[in-house]
Amino acid sequence: MSALKKITLTETEIVLALQSKDPAVLKTLYSMYSSALYGVISRIITHTELAEDVLQETFVKIWQSASHYDNTKGRLFTWMMNIARNLSIDKLRSKDFKNSQKNQDIENNVSFVDEQNKVTFNPDTLGVKQLVNNLKPDLQVVLNLVYYNGFTHVEAAEKLNLPLGTVKTRIRLAIIELRRSFN
Amino acid sequence: MENLRAYIESGVLELYVLGDLSAEETLQVEEIASRYQEVRDEIASIEQAMEQYALNNAVEPPIDVEQKLFDKLGLNIYEEVFETADNYINEPKIVRLDGSDGKVKTLRYALVACVALLVISVAALFVTYNKLSDANTQIASLNLDKQKFAGVVSQLEYDNKGLSNIAEMAESKEWATIRMQGQPISPNSKMNVYWNKKDKSVLINHLAMDLPKADAEHEYQLWALVNGKPVSLGVFGKSDSTAKDAIIKMQSIQEAQAFAVTLEPMGGSVNPTMEKLTVMGGV
Repeated sequence: MSALKKITLTETEIVLALQSKDPAVLKTLYSMYSSALYGVISRIITHTELAEDVLQETFVKIWQSASHYDNTKGRLFTWMMNIARNLSIDKLRSKDFKNSQKNQDIENNVSFVDEQNKVTFNPDTLGVKQLVNNLKPDLQVVLNLVYYNGFTHVEAAEKLNLPLGTVKTRIRLAIIELRRSFN
Repeated sequence: MENLRAYIESGVLELYVLGDLSAEETLQVEEIASRYQEVRDEIASIEQAMEQYALNNAVEPPIDVEQKLFDKLGLNIYEEVFETADNYINEPKIVRLDGSDGKVKTLRYALVACVALLVISVAALFVTYNKLSDANTQIASLNLDKQKFAGVVSQLEYDNKGLSNIAEMAESKEWATIRMQGQPISPNSKMNVYWNKKDKSVLINHLAMDLPKADAEHEYQLWALVNGKPVSLGVFGKSDSTAKDAIIKMQSIQEAQAFAVTLEPMGGSVNPTMEKLTVMGGV
């Protein structure tokens, strides 16, 4: 199916088209970033249907508030990712989600405990398993909590019983590690 | 600048990129970033790392989500949107305009070519038609010529036959040639009669006669004078080529002292009209 074909445009082209409400660019944007955003969303929200809903809501919001995006303040993807993360976290805290997740609290905790014990196995992250394992475990835990579990650094500090400064530093170190490995 | 270093290393920029700062803190970061290139660079690096990280951790969403999204946004013309998306990709190469226009242009050229071809065809047809009618005219005139020549040829054949007959009869001992001379009404006329001595048959030859042309109501009648009495040997037609044969066989006569030709009414007469005696000759 040709719809699966990956289309790439430069960020400036996308932003211009997006702000002029060209429906074609939404298609392109979806083609380029839906999987990356779904990767973020589906790790925060494990419930598939809800994750799909959030993905859809994310693109609706991108489409509707494109005029608010200011490229001097950051990359388009950062903006989109934060929309996705915020919508995911909102969903996670909504009544809607709590109803559907009633039986899964323990699972979340198990996953959390697993991470603590370095035996995480999430099939969705198979592609980066190597990369993530290269991070020191304490860095990885913090990064995953904030990046994938939708925790704020304050919540993460509480969860891990660490000083706020330490959490911040670990996040920074984790990202520096990532930067190093991507370059 | 030491403060800047410390600021960058504090981890606040990472939290900024992760969207984990309060509105107030966010504004503060943006304010500092607008002042220091190092901060902007640092933010850009963090953003790139996070983007890479997200792309490397990508999960393909179910296919139907896209359709649902476009339905929800009222962009129902999914196929069209997709086509436009394709066109959008091609836009930098200005393929879209050329692509759609090219077809029309091609069609336009084709149309012009067709019209030109039609005009040429009509012109060619017209020229051909003119040539054809010329040719038809020529054929008609040639046909006329042919008929004329055929007439001439048959006339010549006719003449030839008569002439060779005369020659044969002149050589033969069997045939007597009686030369008849013009009489007062037509002094210049002359005519030969051939009389076979053996079987007494009588022949005349259109080519061996020079008589005035008879009108429609009259024809010539040949007579033999036997012991002073005229005996009809039959009539013969006009002295022209309308006769089928040059040689005409007349009635036989056993004996005759002379031969004569008179002009008589159609069908001939019982007795010769002496006033119309045209030629006469003795044996």
